[in-house]
Amino acid sequence: MTSVVPAAPPGIATGVTRLATALAVIALVWLGLLPRLGAWAPVAGHIRRMEEGRINTAAMVYTELERLPLRPDWIGDELALWRLPTLSREHR
Amino acid sequence: MPAPHRGWHEDSAAILVGGLLVALALAVGWLWRPLTGADSRAEHPKGWPNPLAASINKPQTWDASPAAAFVDRKGKPVTMAILLGLGWIVAVSAAGAWLRGQRVTGVLPGAVLLALLGGLAYLLAAQKVIHFYNLEYPLWALLVGLVIGNTVGVPRWLAPALQGEYLIKTGLVLFGAEVLFSRLLELGLPGLLTSWVVTPIVLVVTYLFGVHALKIPSKSLCMVISADMSVCGVSAAIATGAACRAKKEELSLAIGLSLAFTALMMVAMPPFIREMGIDPIVGGAWLGGTIDATGAVAAAGEILGRDLGDKRPAEVATTVKMIQNSMIGLIAFAVAVYWSGWVDRGASPLRRSLAAEAWLRFPKFILGFVAASIVCSWLFTRGAGPALWVDGAIDGFTGRLRGWLFCVGFVCMGLQTVFRELAPVFVSGRPLVLYVLGQALNLALSLAMASLTFGWLFRQGGGP
Repeated sequence: MTSVVPAAPPGIATGVTRLATALAVIALVWLGLLPRLGAWAPVAGHIRRMEEGRINTAAMVYTELERLPLRPDWIGDELALWRLPTLSREHR
Repeated sequence: MPAPHRGWHEDSAAILVGGLLVALALAVGWLWRPLTGADSRAEHPKGWPNPLAASINKPQTWDASPAAAFVDRKGKPVTMAILLGLGWIVAVSAAGAWLRGQRVTGVLPGAVLLALLGGLAYLLAAQKVIHFYNLEYPLWALLVGLVIGNTVGVPRWLAPALQGEYLIKTGLVLFGAEVLFSRLLELGLPGLLTSWVVTPIVLVVTYLFGVHALKIPSKSLCMVISADMSVCGVSAAIATGAACRAKKEELSLAIGLSLAFTALMMVAMPPFIREMGIDPIVGGAWLGGTIDATGAVAAAGEILGRDLGDKRPAEVATTVKMIQNSMIGLIAFAVAVYWSGWVDRGASPLRRSLAAEAWLRFPKFILGFVAASIVCSWLFTRGAGPALWVDGAIDGFTGRLRGWLFCVGFVCMGLQTVFRELAPVFVSGRPLVLYVLGQALNLALSLAMASLTFGWLFRQGGGP
């Protein structure tokens, strides 16, 4: 990843004003808009389901999930993991 | 980024620091191993408790008041662990600066500010709507950096601390510990075929389509988009982006595309599977093979499972995604070899052997990533106890620190990005076309393979 430090924007006062404006917008969205959106029934329902199921929806990799996805107990009943299931082929 | 080279190269520094941190987590885990039930997954579902976990945490989910982010689900305050986590970031930054020959005192103030900005990004990502729709922290870390860099700019005293590439590479070495080869076998041949046949095909075809058919000028952009779409989203984008030296604007674009489509697919795919009457196990495998982000796969599996009253889709979906997660090491390694041996060399004639040419350009930090993966994979296969030892070290320390390192690394990238540099990447629209067409291929091939393997070929009793 290449990198460049951006040139300083023109005028400190202008920069501070722009930063303050951006922070105000962020505060408005995160403290005002998103909580209201979160209270909207479809979104609230989704959040409630995820919380009840203890799903870490923001997990980047499997190690961040609340429950490690290990081989399910039932899998051997449904799938032949390392061979073609002879019986089922005859069945077919 | 200023790049003084009086000391170690940043790749070597990342390998050393990352390697020491993995060793520290394992050593502490071993010294404080449980006296009873050390082999019991039922007693320690996420591995042996690691005392280092008390030294690092991140803001928790919050709804209307950010104050809730400093208390965990059990009502326990996490402020101290968050502050100590910031301390780890400052320590890793200082170690990197020292190894690379920079003046540590010149880096410290900036490292503290960057750690705080990383905390702000994590706080933004922890808002419940953002969190539960999988809009992951890299997006907000980039936003925080972009806002500051493009308004007040980067003050001179902060510039020496902008070690984004070093922080991300150190995070990738830590990430290596999470890439455990034995996880690849969790679903046997159906899992292997669904992941190992479809994923490389989609990756290579999408990349070639972007380069040759869409004629996107940047090969690294094509590779990063292809990897994040076909493998596992942001984590794959970070790993392959570092392996092929993608520009930060390209990585930002790929991550933005991935997160946008992930949120969409997470919501749209479960009802589609239900309405089409697709077998739940096949549907779960399809979710796991196509939705980019792991958390979104878990969410979609949960939605589908609840709708059908069946826990199997969620379990299959997350396990298939875990298998894809475990492919990142090999894919990043292969991309690094291809890039250093062929792409970077371009049409210039060989002045030494191909291997020597490739080695010169090879991003050496990948070796640390692969070494951490091999060591932890080997330990993991030593029995139930060692497996829990590795899981505990990852869950309690290396995984958390890796997240912080990526987060602060993305803040650095945002600070160093000028809005107008993003424009040429966005305006053509071709990256979007590449992502959409690649994802369409991914959806079709994954469904075909999941139906073949999970639905018919390996299905006991002749299938659904």
